[in-house]
Amino acid sequence: MSKQPNDVTSDVSPIISADNPRRDFLKKTTGILGGAALMNLVAPGVRSAAWAAGSDAPEKTEVKVGFIPLTDCASVVIASVMGFDKKYGIKITPSKEASWAGVRDKLINGELDASHVLYGLIYGVQMGIGGPKKDMANLMTINNNGQAISLSNQLKAKGAVDGASLARLIKAEPREYTFAQTFPTGTHAMWLYYWLAAYGVDPFKETKVITVPPPQMIANMRVDNMDGFCVGEPWNARAILDNVGFTAVTSQAIWKDHPEKILGTTAEWVQKNPNTARALIMAVLDASRYIDTMSNRTAVSKIIAAKSYVNTDVASIDGRMHGVYDNGNGRKWTDANYMKFYNNGLVNYPYLSDGMWFMTQHKRWGLLKSDPDYLAEAKKINQIQLYTEAATQLKVPVPKSPMRSSKLIDGVVWDGKDPVKYANSFKIHA
Amino acid sequence: MLTVMIADHDAARAAQLEQTFTELGYAVASVVDSAFALAAAVTTHAPDIIIVGTDSPDRDTLEHLCLATRDCPRPVVMFTQDDASESIRAALKAGVSAYVVDGLDAERIRPILEVARIRFEEHQLLLLNAAENLRKAEERRLIDQAKQRLMAHQGLSEDAAYHAMRRTAMSDNRRLVEVAEAILKHLPA
Repeated sequence: MSKQPNDVTSDVSPIISADNPRRDFLKKTTGILGGAALMNLVAPGVRSAAWAAGSDAPEKTEVKVGFIPLTDCASVVIASVMGFDKKYGIKITPSKEASWAGVRDKLINGELDASHVLYGLIYGVQMGIGGPKKDMANLMTINNNGQAISLSNQLKAKGAVDGASLARLIKAEPREYTFAQTFPTGTHAMWLYYWLAAYGVDPFKETKVITVPPPQMIANMRVDNMDGFCVGEPWNARAILDNVGFTAVTSQAIWKDHPEKILGTTAEWVQKNPNTARALIMAVLDASRYIDTMSNRTAVSKIIAAKSYVNTDVASIDGRMHGVYDNGNGRKWTDANYMKFYNNGLVNYPYLSDGMWFMTQHKRWGLLKSDPDYLAEAKKINQIQLYTEAATQLKVPVPKSPMRSSKLIDGVVWDGKDPVKYANSFKIHA
Repeated sequence: MLTVMIADHDAARAAQLEQTFTELGYAVASVVDSAFALAAAVTTHAPDIIIVGTDSPDRDTLEHLCLATRDCPRPVVMFTQDDASESIRAALKAGVSAYVVDGLDAERIRPILEVARIRFEEHQLLLLNAAENLRKAEERRLIDQAKQRLMAHQGLSEDAAYHAMRRTAMSDNRRLVEVAEAILKHLPA
C-alpha cells in the first residue's frame, strides 16, 4: 500500500470535493452511455466477422473470476486448478468474495472480469432493482440443482417436516415465522417464495423474510430462533451435521434441473472482450465436463473444501455431490437429480426461458413494478451466440431451442411462451 | 444527537470503531456478526447513518433492507483496509454515500459523515428526478402516438389532431395523457 492508512482526505476527495458534482456526474454518465451505445451498434456483426477471419486471440489473458464459497463454485475453481484455462490461452484467477453485493459492485466497476453469481442477481442489476442499473451478460449456466430449504429442529418438534405440514403449522399457530435467503433478487429467495406459495403460504404476509450470508445461516438458526433458510450446499448438509436443522425440500424437488448459478459479467465487458469471453466459456465448460465425470467428484470435493475456496470439511460437500442424501429426519435416498455441472451440455446452455423465469418471479413479488419486455431482456443478457460458438468448438451438444419446458412443484408448466400471462397468473403474489 | 450503527463481522474492529464514534459524541448502536440482529437493529435504532466494512458479508443483509423499503432509507458509509481507487469507484456506483479508509483519524470523521448525509440526500433526489423524467418521456411518447393514430383515422392534420385532443382533455377535465391512452385503446392501430 502506498498511502498511509489515515490519509482520509485524499481517498474521499474524488467523491466529496468535486466543484460541481452533478455536472461531473452527468458528464461521466453520458460518456459511458455513448460508448456502450456505439459498441452496441457495431459489435455483433464485426465480432463474428473478426472471428470468422481467424483473429480469435483473447483480448486479455488474465481473467479474474469471482466466487462465493459454495459447492457450485467448483467449475470456476477447477478450470483454474486443473489448468483448463491454459488450453484456451487465458489464466483464470479465482477471487473469493465476501458478499453478493460485493460481487455485483466489482462486476460493475470492472474489478472482476466475471463471476460465479446467482442467476436472479444478474437480471436484477439489468433491471435496476434496488440498486445500480447496468447492462449485464450471462455467458453460461454453471449448475443445475443442489440447493435446499432447511427447517429448524424446533419446527420439526412441532410436526413441520415438509411444505404441507409447515403450512398447517403456520395457519394453526400464527406468529412471526422467519425465513432467510441469500440475496433479494437471487435464486434462493425465488425458490423459498415459490415453495411457500405452492403450499398456500404468502411469504410476505405470513412470514418474515431476511437476507443472511450463506456461511452465517447455521449460526443464525442456532442462536436467533430462525425457522428456516434456503441456501446452496454445503450449508444444508452442515445444518444436519451440526444438529440445528434438517432438509425439508431440495431445490431439485421444487424444479427438476432448475438453473442456479451462472457465469456473469457486464454487457460492456463482453463487447470489449468477446474472444476472452469465449475462451472463458470453453475453459469452464471443460471443467464442468470433468466434474460431471462421477469418478472425479471426490477429488473435486477435496480441492474445493480447502481454506482458500469453500473452507469446510470434505464430508459435508462430498455426500450430496454424489447424490447421497440424508434429510436429517430419517429419510435417506440416492437423488438422481443431484447437483449437475454439465449433463451433456444441457446444464450450460443459457436458455432464454430460464432467464425470463427470474423476471416473471421478480414481477410476481413486486420487485418489478410492471412487466418488462421479457424476451428482449433475456436475449440481451444471455449470450447464446458466444456460448454456441464455444460449445461447437468443444463438440458440446447445443439444444435446438432456446426455450425449455419444465413442470414445477405446484404442477404449473413454464415453457417461456407467454411470460406476461405466466407472471400474472399466480394466486399468491405481492 | 446522530445515531450511528456499526455493522461489522470483525468484533475487534467493531469495538474500536464504536469507541471512536462514542468519543466523538455519536450515539452508537453496534451490531456484530449476526445478520438477524442487524435487520432487527435497523428497525429498532433507526440510525441516521450505517457504517459497514466493504469486505463484510453483512452487506447483503443491508441490501435487502434497502430493497424492502424501496429506496435505501439511510446513508451507508463503507470502510475498508484496502484503499484502492477501484473500491471507491465501486462504492460510489453502488449508491454508497461516502467511503472511509481504515485507521480512522477522529478529527476527519465528523466532516465525512456530514458529507455522507448530504450526498445521500442528493442521490435520493437524483433518483427521484430520473424517475420523473422517465415518466414525462413516456407520456410524451403516448401523446405523440395517439396524435398519429388520430391523424390516420380522421384524416386530420397534425395541428388539428393535437387540438382535438387538447379540447377533449379540457372539456372532460382529464389529463392529456389520459386522453391519449383512451385513443390508443379504442382506435385500432
